[in-house]
Amino acid sequence: MTKRSIWRLAVTLFICGVCAFFFIPLSKVRLGLDLKGGVHFELEVQSHEALEADLRDTADRLQDRLKEKGLDVASVRVDALSLRIEGVSAEQKPILEKVMGTFGNFDTSFDAQGARMVQKASYQKFLKEDAGKRALLIIETRVNQFGVAEPEITQSGADGSRIVVELPGVSEAERERIKNLLSTPGRLEQRLKSKLDPTSYKGFPTREAALAFFNGTIPPNTELLPEPETERDLRRAGKDVVTKEKGEEKFKSWHLVETKVYVDGGDISDAHRAVNQTTDANEINFTLNRKGADDFATLTGIASDEGRLISIVLDRKIVSNLSCKEKIPGGSVRVSGSFSKEDADDFALKLKSGAMRASMKFLEEKSMGPSLGADSIRSGIFAAFLGFGVIIVFMLFYYRWSGLNAIAALTVNLIVMLGLMGSFNAVITLPGIAGFALTLGMAVDANILIFERIREELKAGKSVPGAIQAGFDRVFWTIVDSHVTQLFAAMLLFIFGTGPVKGFAVTLTVGVVASLFTSIYISRFIYDWILERHPGTKTLSV
Amino acid sequence: MKIFENLPHIDFMKYKALALSISWGLIVVCILAAQPWKGANSNVKLGMQFTGGIDMQVRFKGDVPQDAVRAALGRGGFSDAAVVAYGSKTGFRDYSIKVKARKGQDEKDSTAQINKIREILRGMDASANNDSRPDLNTESVGALADQWVKTNPLNVVGDETAIRLAYDPMLKKIADTREKFAPMTSFDQLPKDLPQVLSGQIKSTYRLGNLSFLKNESFSPSISGEWTTKTLSAVGYALIAILVYVMFRFTASFAIGGIVALIHDILMAVGIFTLFGFEYSVPVVASFLILIGYSMADTIVVFDRIRENSHKPEYRRATITQLVNDSINQTLSRTILTSMSVLFVAVCLFGWGGPALRDLSFPLVIGVITGTYSSIYIASPVVVYLEKWFPRHDSLKQKHT
Repeated sequence: MTKRSIWRLAVTLFICGVCAFFFIPLSKVRLGLDLKGGVHFELEVQSHEALEADLRDTADRLQDRLKEKGLDVASVRVDALSLRIEGVSAEQKPILEKVMGTFGNFDTSFDAQGARMVQKASYQKFLKEDAGKRALLIIETRVNQFGVAEPEITQSGADGSRIVVELPGVSEAERERIKNLLSTPGRLEQRLKSKLDPTSYKGFPTREAALAFFNGTIPPNTELLPEPETERDLRRAGKDVVTKEKGEEKFKSWHLVETKVYVDGGDISDAHRAVNQTTDANEINFTLNRKGADDFATLTGIASDEGRLISIVLDRKIVSNLSCKEKIPGGSVRVSGSFSKEDADDFALKLKSGAMRASMKFLEEKSMGPSLGADSIRSGIFAAFLGFGVIIVFMLFYYRWSGLNAIAALTVNLIVMLGLMGSFNAVITLPGIAGFALTLGMAVDANILIFERIREELKAGKSVPGAIQAGFDRVFWTIVDSHVTQLFAAMLLFIFGTGPVKGFAVTLTVGVVASLFTSIYISRFIYDWILERHPGTKTLSV
Repeated sequence: MKIFENLPHIDFMKYKALALSISWGLIVVCILAAQPWKGANSNVKLGMQFTGGIDMQVRFKGDVPQDAVRAALGRGGFSDAAVVAYGSKTGFRDYSIKVKARKGQDEKDSTAQINKIREILRGMDASANNDSRPDLNTESVGALADQWVKTNPLNVVGDETAIRLAYDPMLKKIADTREKFAPMTSFDQLPKDLPQVLSGQIKSTYRLGNLSFLKNESFSPSISGEWTTKTLSAVGYALIAILVYVMFRFTASFAIGGIVALIHDILMAVGIFTLFGFEYSVPVVASFLILIGYSMADTIVVFDRIRENSHKPEYRRATITQLVNDSINQTLSRTILTSMSVLFVAVCLFGWGGPALRDLSFPLVIGVITGTYSSIYIASPVVVYLEKWFPRHDSLKQKHT
């Protein structure tokens, strides 16, 4: 064996080895919903509703401020996608102008009858994205609650208004229940931590410890709620933040909390991260509507008088425990603490998740049972193998020993395809299986082109090595050109397709790339190797 | 083994006018038969993804005739529902039920429609008439969970959350079993490791209905239009990308010839697909895109030979017709062979791949055949005509690889 052949063999084995590494634990192969069974939803957040809700809140606030300035007579109403202010006399106009100027997110205009306020385009964009984020958070918490393994939640669309939820292994009968679960807002509550629980922020380490403390019976009008471990806790403890599997949640502590809900999440109109001007620390500001402001004043009154903690509870899990020094009226609240930027954003988002600012519309829903998928897999794989078998027989029959060369190339092709798919965690779908078989059929085309050319060159009187050389050289660009056109089609499928079609596109793209490598590199290598072993051969079995 | 012992000498270009008129004529016939201008009443069958609507697949235990399903749906106000029988395991009957979205309906209607159809189908279950217990095969296990949490048959200690957690794995087991048998025919099929108390309770409070919902898809009409534009633009972009690439690698007349052949192949495959009454779904459109890529690859083999020959001294004085004719003859065996290898696979998928792959592989079966034909009789004649009508002396010989 020459040095060149050894090198080529090493490269081939190395590539096969790497590819095999990526797919050998076959458990890593993920089946698409069409094969495994499950539920698929595509939802659209009705973001225009978020704009309307913001207008209504702004109308309330504007009215309040105008009242403070003594402009009781002014009427503020929502008119299409704008606020219309009327009933202000000419001399009061400067005051109105001043008040309206404090709403920085709005464009204002005046006319003879009154004034009009319109949300700025950038603000509208913010509101829409915000509505999308809230919806996504709600869906994520809900799906986690449902305890599905490997849920897939992706956001798409121009302003993130589309959300695709895929829940494998969930049966058709549960579709209705999940649908209801997904489209109801998160239950965010502000309650008081019970006087009987002495653990303060720390809480009980486990549920059992808490039960033991209370001698097995939980005091009336209270309940034990868990506080999940967050990335922030891990960072503080100096541990590595590992991205946890979805659906898996660790509780760090349990708290005894009163059942009475003081402030309901629906009354929180906005929450966002802000940076404290003096300390430069991250804070969370949230605002409440009129009813929420009164409730919150009561809550903070009790908490500060009795020195108790306020528990923020989202879907029966504690988001955070807060303390407060004094009664907070007015409905505008600032929460300070040592928050990182992400923590603060996350907390603000959770505070907002109690109020669904925009409803969700189900654009697409699919559910299929695994038995249907099992049938499809069986017949799909059978057909694919049948096709593959026919090709092998055909190649051996038609090209004899060279056919074996093509089959070797095809086998490497198969390994490379599987490896590439395994390496980027591609999902196998039913059309994907078809794509697999088809790509093998197309991959063998390159071999056919090469062999036919070699035959032609041999017939023209060239020697065996000369014919092989010429065959590969002449056909090289034909193969590249034909593969590139196929690649265009496959990549467009990838860009435009979703779900099963994407699986199809992935297999095709991968197959085209793999075929380019195997037909040109592997087949050539095999021929050269044979020529080395039988120098001066006069015949070639092709 | 060889297809042609000696190089064939067929005068392909002699019949180019005839071939062109026959194949385009066939396309026109297909279009006339499909009547796409009639909109919803045309013979083009569009999947629910494109029109919006409900697509269900149900399995009945026992011999439930197709007409009975159709009649029951008709009585329930779904006289426009399409009911198609599917092959199934023995003792069961599978049906596909499709209901198109009505004009101006929104997603709330579709949920209501799904529930109504489910009710109608469940109503066909004779055992439901004298047994008011809920059906384990089609009811949500959520209700069962609530029942267990309320009655707590295993006497789990703790509050509601704890109890729910304790019963969760068992519910999952039941749901999985139900899916496995779809539908369960006997309570003996309940998982063996389920505590006796629980299986006893299920047996007394539930009955086993005779049907199971295998698949249920619903598409809002508002998203369906989007799918149509999406797929059409994907096809459009693919054509443009290929046109530009071939123009860059060959010459403009080759690019035009290739695209004309592509359009011919697509129209032919679409026409025959429609004529045979297959339904368009998103995977089917995907296979049309594959067809575009494949058909072009086939044409490129011929084009490449034409270009190669055009550099040879013996063709310096030859006419374009002669050049194209010889090139086609020289590549004929490989054009046929490469198509055959793909055709083998496509036919296997079509014949043995099951109902879902049948629709998907049919355009490929047609496309591979027409793709081979069009490389010879559509793409090449266009190149010949273009070179004849716009003779630029060295246009074929300028580009080198």
